[in-house]
Amino acid sequence: MMKRKLLLAIAGCFLISANGFSQELTEEEQAKLDSVNAVNEANATTAKSQEAYNKGIDFFKEKQFDKAIAQYKISIESDPNFKAAYYNKGVAENEASYYAAAAKTLTQLIEKDKEYSKAYFQRARAYQGTGDYLKAEKDYNKSIELEPKNPKAHYNFGTLQFLQQNYDGAIESFTKTIELNGNLAYAYNDRGSCHRMKGDYSKAVSDYEQASKKNPELAFVLNNIGTTKLKMKDYKGAIAAFNRAISIDKDFHLAYNNRGATQMERNKLDEAIEDFKKCIEVNANYAPAYANIAAAEFKNENYKEAKKNADKAIQLDPDYASAYVNRGMIREMLRDMNGACEDWNKAKELGAETGGQYYSQNCGF
Amino acid sequence: MKLKNTYIIAAFSLIAGFTFSQNVEFKRSNFKDQVDEYKAAEDAIDKGEELFEQGSAAIFEVRDPGLLFEKARKQFMIAQDLNPDNALNNFRIGVCYIHSTRPYEAISYLEKAHKLDPECDDFLYYYHGNALQLKGEFDKAVESYRKFEDAYRKADNFSKFVTMRKRECDNAKKYKSDPERCWVDNVSALNTEYDEIAPSITTDGSEIIFSSNRKNGNSPNEVGMYDHDIYTSTFSEGKWDKVKPIRGSVNSKENDVVNNLAFDGTKMLLHKEKDGYEAVFESMLKGADWSYPEVLPRQISTDRTNDMYAAYSHDGWSIFFARGNESRSNGTDIMYSGMRNKMEKNYGAATMISQVNSKFNDGPIYMAIDGKTMYLASQGHESLGGYDIFVSYKDQGVWSKPKNMGYPINTPYDDFFFAPTANGKFAYITSNRAGGKGGFDLYKVTFWGPPKQPIVDMEDYLLASIAKPIKDPQIEETVSVNKVSLTVFKGKTIDAISRDAVQAEIEITDNSTGDVIERFTTNSATGKFLLSLTAGKNYGIAVKADGYLFHSENFDIPKGSAYNLINKTIELKNIAVGSKIALRNIFFDVGKATLRSESNAELDRLVKLLKDVPSLKVEISGHTDNTGSASLNEKLSQDRAEAVVNYLKGKGIKAGRLTAKGYGSSRPVASNNTSDGRQENRRTEFEIIEN
Repeated sequence: MMKRKLLLAIAGCFLISANGFSQELTEEEQAKLDSVNAVNEANATTAKSQEAYNKGIDFFKEKQFDKAIAQYKISIESDPNFKAAYYNKGVAENEASYYAAAAKTLTQLIEKDKEYSKAYFQRARAYQGTGDYLKAEKDYNKSIELEPKNPKAHYNFGTLQFLQQNYDGAIESFTKTIELNGNLAYAYNDRGSCHRMKGDYSKAVSDYEQASKKNPELAFVLNNIGTTKLKMKDYKGAIAAFNRAISIDKDFHLAYNNRGATQMERNKLDEAIEDFKKCIEVNANYAPAYANIAAAEFKNENYKEAKKNADKAIQLDPDYASAYVNRGMIREMLRDMNGACEDWNKAKELGAETGGQYYSQNCGF
Repeated sequence: MKLKNTYIIAAFSLIAGFTFSQNVEFKRSNFKDQVDEYKAAEDAIDKGEELFEQGSAAIFEVRDPGLLFEKARKQFMIAQDLNPDNALNNFRIGVCYIHSTRPYEAISYLEKAHKLDPECDDFLYYYHGNALQLKGEFDKAVESYRKFEDAYRKADNFSKFVTMRKRECDNAKKYKSDPERCWVDNVSALNTEYDEIAPSITTDGSEIIFSSNRKNGNSPNEVGMYDHDIYTSTFSEGKWDKVKPIRGSVNSKENDVVNNLAFDGTKMLLHKEKDGYEAVFESMLKGADWSYPEVLPRQISTDRTNDMYAAYSHDGWSIFFARGNESRSNGTDIMYSGMRNKMEKNYGAATMISQVNSKFNDGPIYMAIDGKTMYLASQGHESLGGYDIFVSYKDQGVWSKPKNMGYPINTPYDDFFFAPTANGKFAYITSNRAGGKGGFDLYKVTFWGPPKQPIVDMEDYLLASIAKPIKDPQIEETVSVNKVSLTVFKGKTIDAISRDAVQAEIEITDNSTGDVIERFTTNSATGKFLLSLTAGKNYGIAVKADGYLFHSENFDIPKGSAYNLINKTIELKNIAVGSKIALRNIFFDVGKATLRSESNAELDRLVKLLKDVPSLKVEISGHTDNTGSASLNEKLSQDRAEAVVNYLKGKGIKAGRLTAKGYGSSRPVASNNTSDGRQENRRTEFEIIEN
């Protein structure tokens, strides 16, 4: 008892000296003090959460998604009921392609607030990323139900339908996006791709051209016009489109590669090889350009050079089925039949039908 | 300047005088210092001339000149040693070589004869045309043939040869300008400086059989040539093993020329001389040995014709072959004879297939497994020169006009025989083209198949929102597919317990039609069998063997499968009462009756047999060697037999079906005086005592 009084006296001395007071606290005063401390402590925690949340937004704007996620995590630890922190964390995780983590974060948020419509939209994106298309579809539908005028939900739902090869459904969604005045260039481009996948190349080109009008700076839209015109055997139109794509973005490697593929179709092998090489100058790790040089050199009957390029394509992408098909053909002409059969068999294992056909027709007895 | 030019011309003339020889006649005055040599040369020329005339007459009548030209050449070479610059002698040697298995040797002699004196013989321009044709100088060859035609005034049938040669040159130009998509490689591992002909290959490509007149144990003939024997080699680890004569009683002191191996590899056709004529024989594979060849019935092997180059039809019901009738001047013709009953092997009268025959020699023949394709060799039709290989297709019972298989399979030289592998990717042929090891060599044809289009990949951002580009799935195009795909089916029949080979009768049924498509007996020594089946079907296989339980199962061969080879081991269950098998894979701890786990596989096979055949009752007996105490041995053997019985009971076999007996060392199967013998005697046996 004596000892406790001594401790209180010491504490009292400290308080007094800290506050400039010089008096002992009553029980009522002590209770009041405790209550204030508790509120302060709570405020400090909220402040800490908010501070981290704000820092998270700064990092997000700077596209430093990992740092943003770390701050949102601190924010949520400090205030587990801070719904905006969950939402932002989910969005940042989606942006950083951590789709499984995003789905988990957004599920936590939806458990706290079932009417949080944007959360469904973002979780649908996350499920789309993990390939869980049925769950994604359900979330997009819920998002559209909660916010029917949100063009983004329609647009993303369209991309999901496209990935599921439901091109008619996707056309409907992209048309709705266009009606709601969403991202018009993207919506027209993607609707054009739906038509292209359906084999309706004229409608595809028409939509791609609309997309290009809405945003003339999108090189990939011009690239899509080029590849579609190539399918229509309009080689001149295809090359003009690839030229326009390159004039917008001289580092757009796909346009060089695809222009080379068009030259191959026209049997202009030297021009094709030149374009594939330009593609490699822009993107030295782009395996298809090497595989395409191999294809062109095969046609040139320059099998050694062809093999060198096929080897490089496979070195860059060991699961590249077409490169194995091409290298098999090259090795056959270099009289390495065992090697050719190994390559065709590998291509078959990787899902290339042609590899399987060549293997069964040429290997064994 | 003018003076200088004069010197140059004079110097050139001097050199030319040394380089180009003059025609040196065989006149005594030209060889005053070599009287004996001149006499010998004159005698040799006289002998050679007679043989040469006889050989030329045979050629004229489209008959085989046999050794006439080779004998003549040997004589002309005696004269050549004395005088290498006589146009006529060079011409004659060249002609002898043209009609030999080494026609490429003819070129230099005929060119020299042409240079020395193009008028040395009426036929010089004809044979010089031959030489130019072999060299691939087709326009010059045609020019030479025309010169011959202009000068040749005899009203005989020789014009058919000249017309054919000119047509061959046109054909050669046409086919060389559009070569076949294939490689033709000399199979140097199998070839020698001698002749290698008539390849046959097993359907799985693992063994080749061919004939060769390489040196053997027999005596060479009068011109130093050995007789043809049949040889074999196996393909392992990417190369052909050492060539060996085939095992058995086929090879003789005569020419033994293999014709065709049956698709299942169990019988072969060959031809050899019989009573002065070539006749077709058949030999069967018995175990690892080929049986003594039996001549085929008179419908195929007559007494008065040369019958050779026979081939089995796809179903074994007919034999196709080439017949040479000396009373005709169209060379050999392709015939066929069908069997009325397979068991009795009674063949019908042979019929000529007129659609595939020409005015020249036709045959050898190879019948493809589809029953609708015939590969044949011919000196006629659209040949590029010599024998060429052709293909004919049967449509609604009629064989089509033979189509040349093209260059480089065919050349102006002799190219014949055609033995394809099951998938048609490879074929083996015979050719005496230049650049080989000598004479006829075996060549491997590797077909490239239809042109392969390389894949050109394009990528797009089809979806604007997805940063990662999506590959265009429609970029790959399909290629034509072989409609008929075959799979080799091999296997063996063995005793389920002892694993020994069992000879069994097998029937294979096409389950889609219910037809029995194959019926055969497996090899008595190895239990092995081998055949080819159409892929993409479901088959039933029924196996029976004396003393064994009937075995039946069903299997698929997938279409377009990568599995071009299917291997099956059929285990047959022995159910004869009294049948006794030593279970060599049952192991106990030393001196104990404790079963070791390594025994389980053998024991489980026994369990399966007893479950499959519920009527079986067996005695399990234990046996020891004679080492140690007899009473202890008897107890140990009884305990071990009971351990096995207990295991079987534990797996659900009723005790009433099992008897355990320990015989100690009382029933040895080998001498106990050696460690090997004692090892043999320490055993567990099972005997079927009731069924």
